[in-house]
Amino acid sequence: MIFCGQHKTYLHRVLMRIGAVATAVTLYSLSCPAQAEELPSFATDGQLTACTNPTLPPMTFVNGADTSAVAGFDIDVTRELARMWHLKPVITTMDFEGMFPSLASERCGIVISGVLRQTGREKNYDAVPYLDSSIVVIAKSGTPKIASLSDLAGQSVAVETGTSYEALIEKENKVLASQGRPAIQLQMYPSEDQVIQQVLIGRVHALISQDVEVFFRQKQLGGKVSIILTPDNPDFREFAIYLRKNAHDKALLQAAISDMKQRGLLEQLSHKWGISDQEAQVFSEQNAPSAFSVPVFVSALTSAAFLKGAALTLIVAVLSHLTAILISIPVALKLNGPRSPLQMFLTAYVGVFRGAPTLLQLLFIWNALPQFFPIFRESWFTPFLATWISLSINESAYQVEINRAALRAVDSGQLLAAEALGMKKSVIYRHVIFPQALRIALPPTINDFISLLKTTSLASVISLQELLAVTQIQVARTFQFTEYYSAALVWYLAMVFFFLYLQKRIERRFSWADRNEATANG
Amino acid sequence: MADELLPNPSKRISIRNLNKFYKDFLALDRLNIDIERGEKIVILGPSGSGKSTFIRCFNRIEPHDSGVLMIDGKVIDDKTDLTALRGNVGMVFQNYNLFPHLSVLDNCTLAPRLVRKTPRADAEAAAHRYLTQVGIDEQAAKYPIQLSGGQQQRAAIARALCMNPEIILFDEPTAALDPEAIAGIVSIIQDLAAQEITTICVTHEMGFARRIADRIVFMDKGSILEIAPPEEFFTTPQTDRALAFLNQMIHF
Ligand SMILES: Nc1ncnc2c1ncn2[C@@H]1O[C@H](COP(=O)(O)OP(=O)(O)OP(=O)(O)O)[C@@H](O)[C@H]1O
Ligand SMILES: [Mg+2]
Repeated sequence: MIFCGQHKTYLHRVLMRIGAVATAVTLYSLSCPAQAEELPSFATDGQLTACTNPTLPPMTFVNGADTSAVAGFDIDVTRELARMWHLKPVITTMDFEGMFPSLASERCGIVISGVLRQTGREKNYDAVPYLDSSIVVIAKSGTPKIASLSDLAGQSVAVETGTSYEALIEKENKVLASQGRPAIQLQMYPSEDQVIQQVLIGRVHALISQDVEVFFRQKQLGGKVSIILTPDNPDFREFAIYLRKNAHDKALLQAAISDMKQRGLLEQLSHKWGISDQEAQVFSEQNAPSAFSVPVFVSALTSAAFLKGAALTLIVAVLSHLTAILISIPVALKLNGPRSPLQMFLTAYVGVFRGAPTLLQLLFIWNALPQFFPIFRESWFTPFLATWISLSINESAYQVEINRAALRAVDSGQLLAAEALGMKKSVIYRHVIFPQALRIALPPTINDFISLLKTTSLASVISLQELLAVTQIQVARTFQFTEYYSAALVWYLAMVFFFLYLQKRIERRFSWADRNEATANG
Repeated sequence: MADELLPNPSKRISIRNLNKFYKDFLALDRLNIDIERGEKIVILGPSGSGKSTFIRCFNRIEPHDSGVLMIDGKVIDDKTDLTALRGNVGMVFQNYNLFPHLSVLDNCTLAPRLVRKTPRADAEAAAHRYLTQVGIDEQAAKYPIQLSGGQQQRAAIARALCMNPEIILFDEPTAALDPEAIAGIVSIIQDLAAQEITTICVTHEMGFARRIADRIVFMDKGSILEIAPPEEFFTTPQTDRALAFLNQMIHF
């Protein structure tokens, strides 16, 4: 198949020379029928939406301090696809585990993230390979080479969660078991850079990854790691773009990729990203940091990326908790009141949202909700909004219990005395009950808030660029994990201490409850 | 006991056949009484006899189920404006129930400002007047927790007075007080009577009852058994129940 984008320029050049512009237009419309037919069905609103997990350099990663600027081989391929189809590339970053659910819920049209082509995955999705690769076993430089995977018997090996290396090791372990040899001990980590860290700090003997990864890491780590085995395995030979099952879309994508190959574009990109090892490097040579570097720490701490991440963490936590408090007050009053059918429903609400893991609630709202209500697939439903909603609901369930206990702790004589003075219920709650309940509710509320502030880090799975997501992306880029983790820690602690200070300030207003501290306000 | 079947609108309070149920349990059983302006009534009776329930009917914190409750000629029922009623009928509790998060002064001004919309300055001036009357104006800026029990009870009385009630209900106001503090409350209640304020007081203190009561009301099992001036009630009670009650009280 020929691509209209390419075809058109070629025809133009030829025909312009003979000055037959009118003919050109006719010819063009003949050779290139209605463009809509040539577009894959996942191209909607003139956009090519791609999901990627930017922690796998040089395929997909953040090549700079700005976390929104993703780069790499996969990103270039996506941009080229979009250009060929006259679409606007829209790249969404998220955790590895979030990508396929996002594809299923039509949040993105394709997944392109250095994902291997595998028969297992092809049961549910179509895969179009675009780059050859091979599986590699990597250990600290100086580790002797091995002959086969079975030589790893009894050793510990790290892999990234959600990848299919796990199945590979398990298969190998079955063989080892039948020979009466010790199993390979598998450890799984949520991102590729954490996997490498385990090798560097000596927690595991080796890791399993793809060769492209190593070409990149080897330079970045100043030769601290090297390949000890390159086993051949059909399930690990190609990187593929994944899409929802659709023969027409698949054919279009295959045609586009083979067009890129013919034009030598993929070869060119391999050189650009240092995948073919002899090429000139786009990455500066850098020695692996062995000790803590204060300048790196300071620049991480004061970087715009961290500031933005921390601000987002803070905003989403504060908004969610305020919303939770608003929801929880009427619910608590209702639950403390006389029995009613509504009470049963509210009890169930509190039970469900306190019982279900927060991470599950986030994933449910982000990935399952669009399956039931397509409106949640639209672009207004941002990760921020989804996080806000899930955390508000989740936190409100906890806050209800705090409020109930606090309201119960206010002496019933207070309500009686206020009623006897002719005050209305609303006035009594506002001026008599709530101020007293607040004193009791404040410490556990701040406690919950601090916990919520840290829970926001879960939102990285639905691609919210909060503080921890920013940290991980920066670590994957620079590999200076000690400095970046420390910077994140400082930010979290600074926020927590600020709220503890705030709690102390507010508690001073409750001196009326303590005979020795009460100060006459004359 | 009130003889006529119909309530008497010229009395401050006139009650006929007042009944109150808690589900199936008859807590108040056909109560009848007329109370004058400025009169000091003391209600006596064993625990659980319905004394608290009875006085809570006066400000409709416990609505009665049948019979007539008339205050200043007006029938009190579910159509009554509760804010106006409770402004006219104040209440003082055994545990004072002061608002702990407000100073004594703010305790006194909260209801006038929020219910009556009295300007703060006027409310505070009135509060200082009543705090002076009960003798604790110098404590106005303190929080309740910083006051002694007697001072807290005086603050609670001042808080009730700030709504300018014509009737004040006391539910065991002296139960947590020492004799000296009780003497203080006695003189305050006598003071109120001089201002034509009617006081209805539930108590277990015989000495206190004898000192302040114009009439004693003796209740048992939800019924009024006797209404008599104190010297008559304490020397020649008419019922065996009252006699047994008094004997028990003296022996303890
Ligand atoms: N809210 C309620 N629900 C059900 N029964 C109640 C309620 N309040 C009071 N009672 C019952 O009504 C009866 C009268 O109670 P009340 O509190 O009026 O007694 P009392 O004379 O004030 O007793 P005490 O001297 O101990 O204060 C008691 O048997 C009590 O158990
Ligand atoms: Mg009582």
